[in-house]
Amino acid sequence: MDKNWNRYSATEYYDELITPKGTPRQVARPAVKLLKELPTDDLAARRTAAEVAIREMGVSFTVYSEAGNIDRAWPFDLIPRVITAREWDKVRRGLEQRSRALNMFIHDVYNKQKIFADGIVPPETVLESTNFKEQCLGASPRFGVWANICGSDLVRDSDGHFYVLEDNLRVPSGVSYMVENREITKRVLPEIFENYSIRPVDDYPSQLYRMLAALSPRDRKRPVIVVLTPGIYNSAYFEHAFLAQGMGAELVEGADLFVGDDDCVYMRTVDGPVQVDVIYRRIDEDFMDPEAFREDSALGVPGLMRSWLNGKVGIANAPGSGVADDKVVYAFVPDMIRYYLKEKPLIRSVPTYLCMREKDREYVLNNLEKLVVKPANESGGYGIMVGPHADKATHRKFAKLIEKNPRNYIAQPTLSLSTAPTYIGDEIKPRHLDLRPFILQSRDTWVTSGGLTRVAMVEGSLVVNSSQGGGSKDTWIVEGRL
Amino acid sequence: MIMLSRVAERVYWMARYIERAEDTARLVAAYNHLVMDIPKGSQPGWEILVRILDADPVFDEWFNVRNEQNVLRLLIGEADATCSIPYAVHAARENVRTTRDVIPDEVWELVNELYLYTADAAEHSVGRRNRQQYLEQVIQRCQVINGVLRSTLCRDHSYRFIMLGQLLERADMTTRIIDVGASDFLEREGATQGIEHLLWGTLLKSMSALGAYRRMIGPQVEKNAAVDFVFMEETFPRSVRFCVRGIQDELTPLSNNKASLRVVERMRRKLRGFESTSMDQSALHAYIDELQLIIGDLHQAVYESWFHSGEG
Repeated sequence: MDKNWNRYSATEYYDELITPKGTPRQVARPAVKLLKELPTDDLAARRTAAEVAIREMGVSFTVYSEAGNIDRAWPFDLIPRVITAREWDKVRRGLEQRSRALNMFIHDVYNKQKIFADGIVPPETVLESTNFKEQCLGASPRFGVWANICGSDLVRDSDGHFYVLEDNLRVPSGVSYMVENREITKRVLPEIFENYSIRPVDDYPSQLYRMLAALSPRDRKRPVIVVLTPGIYNSAYFEHAFLAQGMGAELVEGADLFVGDDDCVYMRTVDGPVQVDVIYRRIDEDFMDPEAFREDSALGVPGLMRSWLNGKVGIANAPGSGVADDKVVYAFVPDMIRYYLKEKPLIRSVPTYLCMREKDREYVLNNLEKLVVKPANESGGYGIMVGPHADKATHRKFAKLIEKNPRNYIAQPTLSLSTAPTYIGDEIKPRHLDLRPFILQSRDTWVTSGGLTRVAMVEGSLVVNSSQGGGSKDTWIVEGRL
Repeated sequence: MIMLSRVAERVYWMARYIERAEDTARLVAAYNHLVMDIPKGSQPGWEILVRILDADPVFDEWFNVRNEQNVLRLLIGEADATCSIPYAVHAARENVRTTRDVIPDEVWELVNELYLYTADAAEHSVGRRNRQQYLEQVIQRCQVINGVLRSTLCRDHSYRFIMLGQLLERADMTTRIIDVGASDFLEREGATQGIEHLLWGTLLKSMSALGAYRRMIGPQVEKNAAVDFVFMEETFPRSVRFCVRGIQDELTPLSNNKASLRVVERMRRKLRGFESTSMDQSALHAYIDELQLIIGDLHQAVYESWFHSGEG
């Protein structure tokens, strides 16, 4: 294996494990040493073992295609990504701060709208967004928290700093794979844990339970919590089941629930109706309640909104929380932190040009080949143009799209996403990656140790979404002086 | 203890499908054995298996000629045919996949592995050479799954619905296996003349009952005693009577159980009226048909009482 690692050339990007000189970073030394000592065929055997483990554990995700829905094995790269606890704790505090500010913003938008009156955020950018739900005006969820579960995407630029790329505040997924990645690494590379003190990640389901239990409208020692899934054909169904099982909660579909005459939510059980206290919804709010949102939804529960507005049931994430999950709103998060918390933002945001602003738009249209252009409301990496990688025709196409609907587009400078050694074929190659930590908030705030690292498996590619062929890595937060 | 109606229904079906996969494999294995003992020239057709599994329409959808290859291709190779082993395994897997929150992780992994095995091995297990090994694998893997369920699940509602599904399916399949021996088709062909004891021995063996039969009844396998044994022996776990007793035990702690218990009572009366000595093959066949109708009623009662309940 040694010759492989010696040939590994760190590029102009920041590499997570290897310095520009080609030596391992201090924190990665023991791991790289062990991996280097493994003969090539041994490493290959362990990759096979990991694939078998994933297949047998049934760790999968579902991909939509024209040929129907395919249940695919979870893509996993053996070589872990290593981050020091000292560095992570700074990021963690930054994420907590960000999540608090975002929640104060959502609460403000649906209640007093002070941030508009004070001229920090132009109201039309929010109120005209499809993510703004007027049905939620005046609502007051417990602790004033709307986005109880936030999955923020971080990238590391060539300057070595972490940047928040976006905040996912609707139904962010991936956390189960963070837990399973660790489980797989423990199974196939047990030796590697000997020289490290790594923060555990498998307490996530109990932290999630604790956070959700605090939302219960009834004062019960063990509130009735359910995970609401659209069902087996959803791409994240594996995760829904994983989380329900981890919390000892019921995994329910819309048809399992109904709202009674007393506005309480009940589930149908073999012993008759049982009242539900908290719903962790993994179903898009538009499909949640045909009475309040889309009438044609067969996935939802009629009357759910009514029950929630009357305080009879806790829902996480609260309906309407997606209003802050918008790439235009993203541009204002540093201002929100200063406005609501009177603090300096602890974690960086990517400079963002809003095409609805005339000056920004002009700059974007003149510099399309340098910028990444994103639609404000898409997720999963759809509809994005990476300027330097796109041809002239695509530039022209996006120029038209922007001029037609400036509110729907933002642009950011192309970041140089960091790389990490990744086992491709028989070789160790640098591949770009990002990181999705999960932030939980109700009575207090809690952040995962690390998160889900996603890897772009294709050389030079920046697309890390698993639905588009991306992979993943176990992510370590390592304690102690290394 | 909370048990969603939908989840109860799915674990019930998971258990039924696992039992069905195992018992179909047992049935095919037994018949496979028997065929090799029957003198050349008088071999009965394999289509009897299709008939016993009520699979005639399904067979006709896939094949024209009723020969060994096609029957086995249907039962082992056709994952889309509702009577096949891979179909049952796939259906069991889908039911576990949607109830993983109440089923132990090991069970999911084992069912998933069984699914991968039946999918991978389907093609080369139709021929005689690998067939027996395939059937043994399916039987063994199903037994491991049942073993894990029994040794890890709390005796709560999920266990009850799993047991209900398993016992109901087993009672149904036990009667079907006996139906092989009761088939007038066999008699008409004269295929079993002189080897009747072999036939019944094989059928007992397919239910792992031969050893128990010998210890309790004696070395000589004889039709009436064998049928009595698998219908009425209350200590034998695959006998119809044992299954009915088990179903009654599982139903008792459930709320809203009156309708189902009434059907169980009908089943017990029907069994009490069983007299093997007075029955020829065709009477036995008719009796089995009636038993299977009652089993169908029992399923209906369970379905109406629990799987569609809780409406407010």
